[in-house]
Amino acid sequence: MTERMTDPDAPPATPTPPSEPPRLSPIRLHKALSAAWGTPPGLGRLSAVNHTVLGKRFIIAAFVFFAIGGALAMLIRVQLATSETAFVGPDVYNQFFTMHGSVMMFLFAIPMFEGFAIYLLPKMLGARDMAFPRLTAYGFWCYVFGGAILVAALVAGVAPNGGWFMYTPLTSSTYTPGINSDVWLLGVTFVEISALTAAIEITVSVLKLRAPGMSIDRMPIMAWYLLITAFMMLFGFPPLILGSILLELERAADLPFFDPLRGGDPLLWQHLFWLFGHPEVYIIFLPAAGAVSMMIPTFARHELVGYRTVVVAVMAVAFLSFGLWVHHMFTVGIPHLALAFFSAASGLVAIPTAVQIFAWLGTIAAGRPRYDVPMLYLGGFLAVFVIGGLTGVMLAMVPFNFQAHDTHFVVAHLHYVLVGGFVFPMLAATYYWLPHITGRACERRLAVPAFWLIFVGFNLTFFLMHLTGLAGMPRRVWTYPESAGWDGLNLLSSVGGFLTAMGFALFVMDIVVQLRFGRRFRRNPWQARTLEWATPTPPPAYAFAALPRIADRADRLDPGAIGVALARGEGYLGFDRDGRMETLAVEMASGAPQQVVVLPKPTYLPLATGLATGAVVLALLFKLYLVALLGLAATLALFLAWTPSCGARADSGPLPIGMGETAPPHWEAARPPSWWAMVFTLAADATLFGSLLFGGVFLAVVGPAVPAPPIVLPPALLIGAGAALVAGAAAAAFAVRRLVAGRSPAAALLAALVLPLAAVALLLPVIGGLGDPTLHASRAVTFVTLAYLILHALIAALFAGFGLWRMRAGFLSATRSLDLRLGALWHGYSAAAGIAGLAFLCGLSLLGVVLPAVPGVEGGPP
Amino acid sequence: MRTRHPLALVALAAGFGLWLAAFILLYGSLSVGCRLGWHRIELAGGLTLQRAQLVALFAVAVAASGGLAVALRPVRPADEPAEGFLRPVAFRAAVAATAATVVTFAAVLVLTTCR
Repeated sequence: MTERMTDPDAPPATPTPPSEPPRLSPIRLHKALSAAWGTPPGLGRLSAVNHTVLGKRFIIAAFVFFAIGGALAMLIRVQLATSETAFVGPDVYNQFFTMHGSVMMFLFAIPMFEGFAIYLLPKMLGARDMAFPRLTAYGFWCYVFGGAILVAALVAGVAPNGGWFMYTPLTSSTYTPGINSDVWLLGVTFVEISALTAAIEITVSVLKLRAPGMSIDRMPIMAWYLLITAFMMLFGFPPLILGSILLELERAADLPFFDPLRGGDPLLWQHLFWLFGHPEVYIIFLPAAGAVSMMIPTFARHELVGYRTVVVAVMAVAFLSFGLWVHHMFTVGIPHLALAFFSAASGLVAIPTAVQIFAWLGTIAAGRPRYDVPMLYLGGFLAVFVIGGLTGVMLAMVPFNFQAHDTHFVVAHLHYVLVGGFVFPMLAATYYWLPHITGRACERRLAVPAFWLIFVGFNLTFFLMHLTGLAGMPRRVWTYPESAGWDGLNLLSSVGGFLTAMGFALFVMDIVVQLRFGRRFRRNPWQARTLEWATPTPPPAYAFAALPRIADRADRLDPGAIGVALARGEGYLGFDRDGRMETLAVEMASGAPQQVVVLPKPTYLPLATGLATGAVVLALLFKLYLVALLGLAATLALFLAWTPSCGARADSGPLPIGMGETAPPHWEAARPPSWWAMVFTLAADATLFGSLLFGGVFLAVVGPAVPAPPIVLPPALLIGAGAALVAGAAAAAFAVRRLVAGRSPAAALLAALVLPLAAVALLLPVIGGLGDPTLHASRAVTFVTLAYLILHALIAALFAGFGLWRMRAGFLSATRSLDLRLGALWHGYSAAAGIAGLAFLCGLSLLGVVLPAVPGVEGGPP
Repeated sequence: MRTRHPLALVALAAGFGLWLAAFILLYGSLSVGCRLGWHRIELAGGLTLQRAQLVALFAVAVAASGGLAVALRPVRPADEPAEGFLRPVAFRAAVAATAATVVTFAAVLVLTTCR
């Protein structure tokens, strides 16, 4: 079944299908595909867009940051080894523990799983690459540059020092006047661009870029885990990005979102942060659990028990994780009933997590397990993670949480969860998939002692922290008095920390030794039954010489037989078509082939765009706002420079894809990957906007009752702006209809360009008439909401202008309407956000009138 | 449920989507009710406006979630493999979400609302 974009009433315009390219011998096919997909040598490596190359770079960079975070952990343990240590003072110590947490969460855990996902997903799904290779490369550069800014700040002694959670008012400019907090807010937001691009990339790739026949029920279980995780990132990261923008606006422009003296509330930051922060824990854990679900069946020699139940459990974890963020805030003064909601959800999440653990244990029990290095590390994972889960249930109970809050008990718990739930599985995954990356088999000589050093060292370090925590030792203190009696336990914790560090050093040595001296093998050393092992090892840039047709669940395959057939070109796209980089997109549920996705060649544009984005971040950091605007313009221009290589100037019609089937190129299809990417981008955008509206309502309803100055919102201007946005969206949709019907969309596009600009022209006087937005949080929220709508209207106009340009350049036709449909999606969202935003502002001003009149209000839930 | 339509995939998340909607609605209503002093307005027999609205929302949430589970129950052999997977998984998720709805929000029946 193929999918084409045509108007059923339009005359047939499909050209004659071109013939299938000639079949080549396996060697010639390999050479032709390698030439098409390869990354240039030397400096050309900087132009890499290939998923195998970028996946490895992500993993290596994440390990480097892990080493930096680990070194900081050692410095922390030196400081806390004994009471009243004079190693570092509180200023430096605050930077150490803030950077340790920030590096491990944002620069190690997330990028590490992204690296594994980028490297493995296409191979597991039977595709030749991710859906948007240049976006992968751009995300990588954003990650590396953002991480470099944070580390450079550490070296310069101006690293963030307010904790990885950056609580206000400590991090507001009153109490942290330097650039320390700005480094975090801007640097981490820069890195989050990478996380969001990866989320969109993973979501679309799993849903669309699978081997033909791989229906949704046949996907490898890790694809389910990664798909659900990517959705969580789409909805979990925007609240933090919004929070970071608001806090940076408060610090840079004095907009008082978190200042209680001017109607703001520090608790708004905590809500926005933990609305991201707790799902983040599962965003880190679930990909690792996905890897566990791939490894255990291999070593148990039995398919995963309860595949469907595990899918349900992962979905349950994902949703529940968005309903328990307040368990980080139990002590801030929230009514008991609200605490009960969050406490129940926090306890409930243990159930689907336990379902997965029982599925893994059941798989081992049902199979014929064999021992090897990855299984050793998985044993460590099970032991450590279960302890972390149990202490998590303890902390979910409000009375206990009150006692243990902000003590080292929580530090112990979170390390058991994160190291147990992510680091141990990732170490196992490294040993499991390293042979795939290197083509060299795993050896045990150093891996086993490395494991025991890490396992014993870790438990010595963190199990004892439960005890120091219960004895009352608070978190985030740079020293403690001898009279507290915590010296012995802390010294043992520090000894354990250094044992752990030795274990990791041995692990790194082991990897180096294996890279250099590992025994070579041909294919599939673990006798796994999933598709990634059907590629040659190490894999070529194109991954598969042909794409397979999948007739069974993806963990019941024979990679050896499939790999040999694919190398001969037996399958889909088993040829070279004019050096183009092609893979297939399928229907989401059934896996029927739908489109030929033509991917972009290596290019320096992602690097240049990343550099321009980095320039914007640095300019904002040093308050060079004119330079920031120039950098923004450069970034936009560079993004536009990505587009000429997309699409075609002539209709090609369905192309042969092998196996006697045809499919249109993606730009002639109704729902290509980029269409879905736009949908998911807008979903993330809507989450950010929804978080802003939540913030406004929060401040109005439960924020400090500081009288707000009146806000004047001229109804005529608001109604006019809303109408212009809606009319713009209608014009954009009409342009698509005209084009698909074979008529010129120029006039409709012009209207779609002018109308959003008219909305901007109407909203600017509203924003100008607000008065000083620094006077009160309600004005600041109104200001930011209007700015959001103006920004979206401007981008909508840009999309319309882009459509006109593409039309003139010959990229549009009745069957090639993708560019306009993407623009219409943006226009539609801008109009919907415009209506919602303007209604919100009217409601907010009404709330401002109603709420202060309520007498005797007490204890509203934050 | 037609599996060739992307909406079929959305059914997988429908059950817990309802749970999340109920969460937002109940937490939001609790906050607004406390701010407006609804816990001081007695309707009858010691029942406050705040308790009444929360219990009503809780009942609606449980009914909606349970109704969804019933609507998603597998009723006949699937026409194609993907449908035979999606529908049972969506059903199990909806059942789990109904249980989660009861456990998460049952406290509205007994706990004080604004202290």
